[in-house]
Amino acid sequence: MHTQLCAIKGSRDGLVVTISDASQFAAVLDALEQQLIASESFFQGSTAKLMVRQGSLSAEQLDAIERLINRYGMHLDRRPPNWGLAPNREPQDSEEKGAVEDNTLLVKRTIRSGQRLHYDGNVVVMGDVNPGAEIVCTGDILVLGSLRGVAHAGAEGKIDAIVFAFRLEPTQLRIAHLISRAPDEKLPQPQGPEIARVVGDRIQLSVYNH
Amino acid sequence: MGKVIVITSGKGGVGKTTTTANLGTGLAALGQKVCLVDTDIGLRNLDVVMGLENRIVYDLLHVVEGQCRLRQALIKDKQFGDRLVLLPAPQTREKDAVTPEQMKALTEELREEYDFVLLDSPAGIEHGFKNAVAGADTAIVVTTPEIAAVRDADRIIGLLEAAELYDPQLIINRVRPNMVRRGDMMSISDIDDILAIDILGVVPDDQDIIVSTNKGEPIVTDPKSKAGQAYRNIARRLLGEEVPLMNLQERKMMHWFKRLLSGEAQ
Repeated sequence: MHTQLCAIKGSRDGLVVTISDASQFAAVLDALEQQLIASESFFQGSTAKLMVRQGSLSAEQLDAIERLINRYGMHLDRRPPNWGLAPNREPQDSEEKGAVEDNTLLVKRTIRSGQRLHYDGNVVVMGDVNPGAEIVCTGDILVLGSLRGVAHAGAEGKIDAIVFAFRLEPTQLRIAHLISRAPDEKLPQPQGPEIARVVGDRIQLSVYNH
Repeated sequence: MGKVIVITSGKGGVGKTTTTANLGTGLAALGQKVCLVDTDIGLRNLDVVMGLENRIVYDLLHVVEGQCRLRQALIKDKQFGDRLVLLPAPQTREKDAVTPEQMKALTEELREEYDFVLLDSPAGIEHGFKNAVAGADTAIVVTTPEIAAVRDADRIIGLLEAAELYDPQLIINRVRPNMVRRGDMMSISDIDDILAIDILGVVPDDQDIIVSTNKGEPIVTDPKSKAGQAYRNIARRLLGEEVPLMNLQERKMMHWFKRLLSGEAQ
């Protein structure tokens, strides 16, 4: 699931440097430099705008990018491109640490033993999560099937994250920094969909009532 | 053009080699031309189970390295002769002596001549497994009704998908109906619940398998054996025949099978 951290592309709006995830800033800077080196003097003298797909950049980070771009003979236009997100907008309340944007990944298959899924956002699985499989994400986890593997919701500290499954029988359940595991003795099988959430300082399972 | 089927499991000791030997023999008995390939380089044993160990001169590695012609390395079966041949694995080399590309070329050549090419995969998920699946069109996953084996089978199904081998079929080996009935062993529906792939067959636990393996005569040719009957049924299913899963003694089991067959157990 390797995505390009950084890309330089031409658009109607001129040259745009797109950063896919600002939280990995050091890697982004590396990737950008690689791109600039690879393009040699192709972009020299041109002006580029900056677009950030996920997260946001601090003023210092923006300066660092400008210095880098300048070093390769380009200029940075700090005004946002006409489309997409502004690079230098202030982080809003909803973007405080641990909060999740409306990113949701839909997985239309069963996740089997040995397969791991990491995602920045919510995950919906249309299938089962088998024993030995693992889902880690920063938002909620919904399994439209049996969840028997390991699930970690709110992995970056989102304490109000939930885990939902038609059959919730996980090996281990984690929400934010809390961990709970299946009891060693056999439990009666759940009769219907269940939901796990943090109540006090414990993860609590309850029957899902809509 | 023949079919190339890899027989794999992840976990060792669940009966991959026994299954390969019996399905190959069963298919040959049904008039098919079959080639068995032992891809377990360094730990071969398909030749032993087939009772052909003493005939080995050349092996798979000699073929891919061009030290002999393919035909020279193929060992004819004692009973079926030309219709059932074995390409043995080298015993003295490491698994990485062969590459997936070489395996692909080899299976392409074999499928020209044979109706079925059965690849006996080594246990594990490393180089040997990758070699075994490289040239296959489809896969048969073997498991036993144990949690560890089912877990590994699940892992293997995921890896097969990654290798673009979709819709593998499952053989559940060494089922003990009495233990299942008492609730001491995973039932077929328990396994189906987790793995959720087509069940190609269920083979009952049978002590005679050990005897037949030691003798080097696959049990599929023994008309009295229940396990042999199970393998004969699987061979017929591989040829596209509709054969119901057999009754493993208990009425309750029969009920499960009926449910399975009618698709209710989904």
